[in-house]
Amino acid sequence: MTTAPTPVPTTPAATEPGGGAGASRTAARTTHTPTRRRGPLARLGGAWLATLPLLLFFVIGFGLPTVAIVIGAFTTSSDAETGAGQFTFDNVTASVQGAYLTAMLSSLKLSALTALLATLIGLPLAQAVVTSRQGWLRQAVLTASGVLANFGGLPLAFAFVATLGNAGEITRLLHLTDHGWSLYTFTGLTIVYLYFLIPLMVLTITPALDGLRVQWREAAQNNRATTYQYWRHVALPILLPSLLGGFVLLFGSAFAAYATAAAMVGATVPLVSRSIADALSGNVLVGQGNLALALSLNMIVVAVLVMAVYLPLQRRSARWLS
Amino acid sequence: MTTAISPVTGATHSTGSATVEFRSLRRTFGATTALDGLDLTVRPGELLALLGPSGCGKTTALRILAGFEQHDSGQVLVDGKDITAIPAHKRDAGMVFQSYSLFPHLTAADNVAFGLRMRGAGKAERLKRAKELLELVGLPQHAGRYPHQMSGGQQQRIALARALALQPRVLLLDEPLSALDAKVRLSLREEIRRLQQELGITTLFVTHDQEEALSMADRVAVLRSGRLEQCAAPAELYARPATAFVAEFVGTMSRIPCERSGEGVEVLGRRHAVDGALPADGSLQVLVRPENVRLTPDEHGVALVVSASFLGAVTRLTVRLNDRTEVKADLPTEAAAGLPVGSRAALTLPERPVLVDRRTV
Amino acid sequence: MAQLTSPARAHRQATRRPKVRWWRGAVLLLAGVYFVVPLAASAWFSIDEPKGISFEAYTGLLSAPGFLDSLWLTLGLALVTVLVLLLLLVPALIAVRLGAPRLRPVIDVLCTLPLVVPPVALTAGMIGVLRWGPDYLMDTPFFQTFVFVQDPDFPVVLVIAYVLMALPLAYRSLDAGLRAVDVRTLVEAARNCGASWPRAVFTVVLPNLRGALLNASFLTLALVLGEFTAASILGYQPFPVWIYSVGNSQAHMSVAVSILSLLLTWLLLLLLASVGRQRGSKTATS
Repeated sequence: MTTAPTPVPTTPAATEPGGGAGASRTAARTTHTPTRRRGPLARLGGAWLATLPLLLFFVIGFGLPTVAIVIGAFTTSSDAETGAGQFTFDNVTASVQGAYLTAMLSSLKLSALTALLATLIGLPLAQAVVTSRQGWLRQAVLTASGVLANFGGLPLAFAFVATLGNAGEITRLLHLTDHGWSLYTFTGLTIVYLYFLIPLMVLTITPALDGLRVQWREAAQNNRATTYQYWRHVALPILLPSLLGGFVLLFGSAFAAYATAAAMVGATVPLVSRSIADALSGNVLVGQGNLALALSLNMIVVAVLVMAVYLPLQRRSARWLS
Repeated sequence: MTTAISPVTGATHSTGSATVEFRSLRRTFGATTALDGLDLTVRPGELLALLGPSGCGKTTALRILAGFEQHDSGQVLVDGKDITAIPAHKRDAGMVFQSYSLFPHLTAADNVAFGLRMRGAGKAERLKRAKELLELVGLPQHAGRYPHQMSGGQQQRIALARALALQPRVLLLDEPLSALDAKVRLSLREEIRRLQQELGITTLFVTHDQEEALSMADRVAVLRSGRLEQCAAPAELYARPATAFVAEFVGTMSRIPCERSGEGVEVLGRRHAVDGALPADGSLQVLVRPENVRLTPDEHGVALVVSASFLGAVTRLTVRLNDRTEVKADLPTEAAAGLPVGSRAALTLPERPVLVDRRTV
Repeated sequence: MAQLTSPARAHRQATRRPKVRWWRGAVLLLAGVYFVVPLAASAWFSIDEPKGISFEAYTGLLSAPGFLDSLWLTLGLALVTVLVLLLLLVPALIAVRLGAPRLRPVIDVLCTLPLVVPPVALTAGMIGVLRWGPDYLMDTPFFQTFVFVQDPDFPVVLVIAYVLMALPLAYRSLDAGLRAVDVRTLVEAARNCGASWPRAVFTVVLPNLRGALLNASFLTLALVLGEFTAASILGYQPFPVWIYSVGNSQAHMSVAVSILSLLLTWLLLLLLASVGRQRGSKTATS
């Protein structure tokens, strides 16, 4: 942890393998050793003052929109017959019915599937890199992962359209359309999402694999464990929190993604993020102007659940692997 | 042999007391030579300490014995059988690592019983055995704790219990105390020695701490650059080191220039007899231990007291001779009070210095 | 001796890692194919015009309508976002370590919270707030603020959104950097040598944070260069939105720009890695 920061920590988990809890505890303990000459109040005041801009920014930039979402989700919009600002459950009710329900389920399904696949593929890939004796291979794969994990959004969509789209190079080369191939389907979207989720998984899980101590493998061998038994009884259980945490993080990433799908699939695969964008551009029934906010609230609920699972896992793996 | 360890499997294979032999063991890592023809025999049931500075190959020898490293040439024999072809997970040697080797996701009891689980032992048997071993290392109430809930010393005790769980014939300790606090280190040192003697298990103990080696081991093997310098009982090693390296690595030594004088040497105007032959050529120095140097207050003495450090019962004085040589001398603290820094003293060397070596400084 | 060593050597060769690590090669090969093919195919696609190979998609970029405007807008937004983010975060994080440790968990939670509001939802919320302007504040001085924030020439609202989106990553990067340097001891040592508070922070703490600062800046930069969601929904046209609109009419050019933006990200990352390495070797030798 004291070495120079990893050049490619594009995920929270990648920068967080060390014992954050431990470090914060020591810091908290040492804070009361005073070398204060100007009196504790002046010093404390200065410190609070320095955090004030961040707090203010947060309240305005983040607090207001969040409040707007929550209030908006439960009130009528300005185009409603009853007038704006009336309390109502209509938005929330509508947001979990019909096409919106389909979109939510489809989003959940896509996120879960891609996160699972990326976890299953990312682990052996990261292990191949970690156990490799070639330093350059590790460096190359991690740098590439850093780039590709950032390669979400539009460029990714266009790259796949150019490759596997209807007029894509590979599609034409292998006459894939004749075999019923289409990129603009659930399967197609899965393949595209994996392109940034697998590198994200590699970045997330590599510190955990690095954290597996040689002593554990040797102690296992010394206690009569075969390689298979080592993985089954030692390595995988120790990695489990990291793997689950990684899965959840990937799920959240896939769930929140908008640009890739927006640029690629048109309306063939319904997704919550797209429904919100549609609703915001006025593409809703009269009186449902605040539907977008209700949909956003649904999304936030899912994301909160994701984080509620992720953070404890993250803490546990940090404790084991630091 | 011991009542604490009852045979688990019913088979009465003897715990401990294997003979371990390293023969011309050689191992290089790229350009560095870790072992350069090591010859060493560990007798059944003894605790042998492998002592040396870092990089002398002591850990490599241990890891080769455990099967974690391969040697380039030479042989490792356990009870006369070459074990080279046996993979690490089938070797009959329990190992305690330097630190952090406990599995973090398992409780103390599960850590201890890990080897039994790998062997397919049933749950009841594992629990029973783990309980026995935890009692053996004095931590029966810690069975349900996880490694991160225990102190470093407790973790090493658990690691010791785990290493003993499968009743190995050899116990390997790779600097097991070096990551611990001084106080814990002392108590665990005694604990390990007690257990080892109780079980009568052949034990190899790697350490760079000479005090640790001398206080615990039946015999100490001093390694230097992958070769054995000397292997002897602690008292002998201290009193009659075979080489200057051993002499200075084990305990404190002062070097004083001397002249040849027949079969012996002349130091500060007095003749001293010498054990063994003198180096053939070059100028010489005698090596003496602080407790063998006597100082008496004397205004016209050769020695000027330049510093004193209080060590409890004794005080170690550093004196400077006329040729600027510095010599350390341990005096009873009361006697040292008569020799404040800046005073002069007469210096008397023991009848036989520990060793005579070529001049190095 | 030779009699002793040769059988041992034979043993050794028989036992030393007999299993070839074939699985590693296979895994890396498959991954390589999956990750290289789309890149290679896009590169080919961008020059594979119906009439033959042509680099028009690249040469025509500069003269393409909107290209430069949107690029400048994005770069400006990126610069301001990075500055605002660092100015908000760095003083707060240093202060929390030096004087107000009880605020630390608060900051930690605040900087993690944006992760639970996906960009689309955040944008929806912002639109919700912006609607309050005309709805409720038409006649108050606040209204001017709403107008200013949404100025299409430089939409401050996007900066706010980007800062929030980058906050979790930048926070973690800076926090990791601060954890490694023990700010308190550094500052106390500097104060002990007679440095004033600001001087201690500027001459001792910040230089030691260089790697973390660069890291946070890079992550933010990469995020702004690729951000599409908020900008497109809010109706502005920075670079990513421009790429999107071009994609509808000129597929080749949009792919070409995609490749260029990928290369740009790559370049930035390599730059950062080399800076990080320099710093690493410096600390290793010191």
